[in-house]
Amino acid sequence: MIHKLGPLNNNREGFESLAELWSLASLLVSRSLELDFSMCSSLDGNMAAPLGALLAIVADKLNRTEIVAVQVAIENSLRRNQFLTNYGYPTLEAGPTILPFQSFQLTEERLFGEYLKQHLPGKGFPQLTEGAGKVFQQSVFEIFQNAVAHSDSKLGVFVCGQFFPNELRLNLTISDPGVGICNKVRAFLGKKDLPSEEAIQWALAGGHTTRTGKRPGGVGLKFMLDFVKRNRGNIQIVSGDSVYSASAGYDKLHSGLPGTTVNFEVNTADTQSYHEPDVAPENIF
Amino acid sequence: MAEVTRGEVVVRVFDVIGTSLAVSSDDGQKVYEKIAPLLHQGQKVRLSFDKIETIISAFLNAAVGQLYGEFSEEKVRDLFNVQEMSPEDLALLKRVVDNAKLYFDNRKEFDQAWRDEVGGQQ
Repeated sequence: MIHKLGPLNNNREGFESLAELWSLASLLVSRSLELDFSMCSSLDGNMAAPLGALLAIVADKLNRTEIVAVQVAIENSLRRNQFLTNYGYPTLEAGPTILPFQSFQLTEERLFGEYLKQHLPGKGFPQLTEGAGKVFQQSVFEIFQNAVAHSDSKLGVFVCGQFFPNELRLNLTISDPGVGICNKVRAFLGKKDLPSEEAIQWALAGGHTTRTGKRPGGVGLKFMLDFVKRNRGNIQIVSGDSVYSASAGYDKLHSGLPGTTVNFEVNTADTQSYHEPDVAPENIF
Repeated sequence: MAEVTRGEVVVRVFDVIGTSLAVSSDDGQKVYEKIAPLLHQGQKVRLSFDKIETIISAFLNAAVGQLYGEFSEEKVRDLFNVQEMSPEDLALLKRVVDNAKLYFDNRKEFDQAWRDEVGGQQ
């Protein structure tokens, strides 16, 4: 099968391009997929994460993927972030704006920590104040841990980031080809027809968790959303056929995507201290 | 891993999990499994975050939030405390503790209210 991929930017249209690909590629078993980039006229490097997650499912179903007709600037970007390495393209030196495309198994939290330690410095750090940088890192770990706890992804988690120095923003995207936040919420609430938008809305409310064991949950996503608001950054959460954006609300895709993608945009010009007023430990419990 | 100071057992997170990143539920579980038996014995416990650089809610939910499913608020308040946490991490811990109290108090009612709201089945 040949599919012409559309533009892949950090917006609804970017995810629409992926949904179009998925609507066809999801049907393939033991076949060949030629992914033609000739119509992909623009691309944000971090979108390699959800593309990589989709193609991991395609490969898991014993299909062979070939990537062709990539425009030069986009090819260079995807060679620098090492996305194209798996498709036979030589890697280019990453440069100062890239957090490379990488996959992690759900058990590799520490490796993910090493990845952030190695690749975050210089991408808006240390311009970003220490406090903001710390809360950003905590938020990123919360997203990763959310995938660990809820995605049931056998293929792991896919990560990629891009710093845009002229716009003073850093996009870091974490995508898992697992069960998906919407399906997880539907199963938990016993409502299989719950629209994706309402499922995401439920998951984002403070105190909500699909956990059923002895460990409470439901703080991490709220923590992250509070940071995004204060930082004047953005977050996109894509699951099923819904795209949630903290800055633009909910939007629909023409067809659904598997798993969950969280696209985190941090405003690296943030100079707030993020200092919290002192809370005496004795007053916490 | 633990030392007794002025009648309190100090449990050092770094020694239990072996990393400065307190970012996983499983590592939080390891810490919980050190603390809970001591509290069952009526032993005072102080959890030290010395050398810990990053802490997230998922870790704290497992290590500390879970205590409220096993012990009363009074018992946790009397026997448990923390040290060497930044004001920001203490604020996060407060969120986790407040959430855990609600979770264990109202879990059934809270989830049923949502199921009713969206028309799902129990």
